[in-house]
Amino acid sequence: MKFTRTLITASLVIITTACSSPTANTSTDATPNEVTLLAYDAFTPKEGIFDAFTATTGAKVKVVTSGDTGTLISKAILTAGNPEGDVLWGIDNTLLSRAQKAELLTSYEPVDYGDICVNYDKQWFTSRNIAPPTSLEDLALPTYKNLLTVQDPVASSPGLGFLMGTIAHFGTDKWQAYWKSLKANGVHIAADWTTAYTIDFSGSSGKGKYPLVVSYGSSPPAEVLYAEKPIDTPPTAVIESTCFRQTEYVGALRGTRNPNNAKKLISYLLDVSFQESMPLSLFVFPVNKKATLPDLFTKFAVAPKNPLTLDPADIEKNRDAWLSTWRDIIL
Amino acid sequence: MAEYMERHHLVSKTKTLLIAPVVFLSVFFVVPVTNTFLRYFRFSEFGNVLSNQSLRGVAWFSLWQAVVSTLATLAIGLPVTWALSRFTFRGSRLARGILTAPFVLPAVVIAAGVLAITDSRGVIPILWAHVVFNVSVVLRIVGPRWAMVNLRLEHAAATLGARPSHTFTLVVLPHIADAVISAATLVFVYCFTSFGVIAILGGISRRTLESEIFTQAVRLGNTETATALAVVQAVIIGAVFFITRRSSRSLSTSLHVSSPQQLRTKPTHRLTPLIITAAAIVVVASPLLATIYRSLVVNGQLSLSAWRTIFSGTLPALSVSPQSVITTSLVFAITAACICVPLALLVASNSAPRALFSLPLAISAATLGIGLIITFNRSPFSWRSERWFIPLIHAVIALPLMIRALEPAAKAIPNSLRNASATLGASPFATWRHVELPLLKPALLRATGLSMATSLGEFGATSFLSRSGSTTLPIAIAQLLGRPGVATQQAGFALAALMVLVTVGVMSRA
Repeated sequence: MKFTRTLITASLVIITTACSSPTANTSTDATPNEVTLLAYDAFTPKEGIFDAFTATTGAKVKVVTSGDTGTLISKAILTAGNPEGDVLWGIDNTLLSRAQKAELLTSYEPVDYGDICVNYDKQWFTSRNIAPPTSLEDLALPTYKNLLTVQDPVASSPGLGFLMGTIAHFGTDKWQAYWKSLKANGVHIAADWTTAYTIDFSGSSGKGKYPLVVSYGSSPPAEVLYAEKPIDTPPTAVIESTCFRQTEYVGALRGTRNPNNAKKLISYLLDVSFQESMPLSLFVFPVNKKATLPDLFTKFAVAPKNPLTLDPADIEKNRDAWLSTWRDIIL
Repeated sequence: MAEYMERHHLVSKTKTLLIAPVVFLSVFFVVPVTNTFLRYFRFSEFGNVLSNQSLRGVAWFSLWQAVVSTLATLAIGLPVTWALSRFTFRGSRLARGILTAPFVLPAVVIAAGVLAITDSRGVIPILWAHVVFNVSVVLRIVGPRWAMVNLRLEHAAATLGARPSHTFTLVVLPHIADAVISAATLVFVYCFTSFGVIAILGGISRRTLESEIFTQAVRLGNTETATALAVVQAVIIGAVFFITRRSSRSLSTSLHVSSPQQLRTKPTHRLTPLIITAAAIVVVASPLLATIYRSLVVNGQLSLSAWRTIFSGTLPALSVSPQSVITTSLVFAITAACICVPLALLVASNSAPRALFSLPLAISAATLGIGLIITFNRSPFSWRSERWFIPLIHAVIALPLMIRALEPAAKAIPNSLRNASATLGASPFATWRHVELPLLKPALLRATGLSMATSLGEFGATSFLSRSGSTTLPIAIAQLLGRPGVATQQAGFALAALMVLVTVGVMSRA
């Protein structure tokens, strides 16, 4: 009994203290020498890229990462108004509306973009004398039966992007029929990107059974940059007409204790020097028109002029219904 | 009378010390989880969840696969535990190390290993992966206790004409029953809340409650639904605890005289334990070999470049050095063990309220993760993004496991020994230091190893906590395997293989 009582008392004391502390003053920066950038785990900027920022502003950039984009945004929403940092990197167009509803950010703007596209194993197709598919429709043809692996859109953001792409292409009343035909054609659903690309896909290290995989328009240059032995051309290529545009945003978090530094950091992230470092460290395209692309990107990365897109508000409104329809079709 | 006084004195002294683990668990577990429930639990949502047909299917699948996984784990784990705690032979320590290694590995690595061999998905690969992961739990919890069962009892039974099967069920089993049940409960909970393994090996049609909680909380942002599901999960696990506690009590009260000596026989019939151990190693180690294979072979050719990368230079695409990742993980593991093992020892050597200390097993990692970020969010408790917070949470998660690892050995020390020591004039501390501690040493070493392994491999709750410059091994592996490029993926498998080798090395000693 004594333990139970100690426990309840301790709980109450802590909860009351935690809930009654005054909120921070936001007119001036609380820690002018530091600014915290929240990002997903895969945010791996070029080493030393923030040195120039510190040199001009006197503020050190502390990068705090947590999980993938979904985890990051869910956490940020749970802590909206009392954020873990000052600037948030990485909300994309499929999640933007959710963030707006929670009034997560005081301001936000696009910082980079890329595409979610079907990639194929070049050698698999040439060695069999089969032409690789060129459209979403092709993927449902008997020639390409049992060749495609895609991610579960509930658990994975490329999976969600691909589903959104099919909805954008076929329309809100025809995409269901398309997925039924994909299912009949033996589409494989993987748990996440890692499983699909590094285990199922035949064109990368896993040497799996599927020569077609949903990945990114920038995956081929990554295959060259991170090849095991230096290579000139990637072993994989992108089917351009399947690409769904993913735009990532950066914004100041509501409740930031360093609004001035947050503003400065955001403009630094949009500035040419940072934008030019992104392609080869984060494998995304810069939004800043003045930024020049590295050779590897101009040669092998794909970002179509007219990619598939959907309005973020539509995505937010329909996502749950679309996902459950999708599950009903696939299961 | 004096004896009674001494003993009473000893008990009340250590009872006071129990405040430490109680406060620790209250602050870092009970408070945050309560906070989550207070904020997000809705009765209406609870009703929705209970009446949802597909969610009931999810609960049913979680339950039956966990029961079957537990039985399979015991079937492989108990014989090898017997072999390794009853006999010493050349390589027995190494075998123990190999069997424990999977415990530290991220789910994706074990799943990839199993998949490389089975080449198909479904229930059988899931069961296999669960066995691979959990044999170590049986080995580490039942092993120390089995080693303390007095061999003379078995000899006596044999002399009186009992067949080996009778000797086992009538003499040995009552002595180890509570340890077996304790281990089985843990294995059940780990399989019931399995997440990564099921996602990769089961495909999307097979989900557990834990994965559904994660999906609802993290992917869909439905914290209320997730919380309602977490309650359902906690109730099911709580019921299992209740049942196993009762059966554990009724099974082990009948015969509870254990020998204080730790006995190790010279092998008289060497072959049986050897064969059993070898069989268990084949089951557990083959997926690990697949991991090592993928770190060494690219396009059918041997390549050491990934191993060169992780020993010199920077991990491709991560801009952190492998050394710093390894150092971070080890520092976290040691810190967590330093917090966790003494607290667990205090609980295990006292009759503390067990239900409280089992709580971290029943509560979904997502629920704890959410609680931590909404509780430790304001000064002076603004700890949620602190570096030291991560090993602390590892200690919370490892605590129930540690208690179970120490408890069977601690309980096996007969009171008569403590009383004798007290009668001879030893102070309670001296009794503890010179009588109890030496007896507990093998269990303590194993528990420390297990605690470090838990910390090294922990992914669920810590992936929810924010990190600044403190990438741990499982996180680094997940990131490397989460990028295109043969070199990055090979480096991911090399890091995983390194974890395997280091763990085998450490666990062979502990």
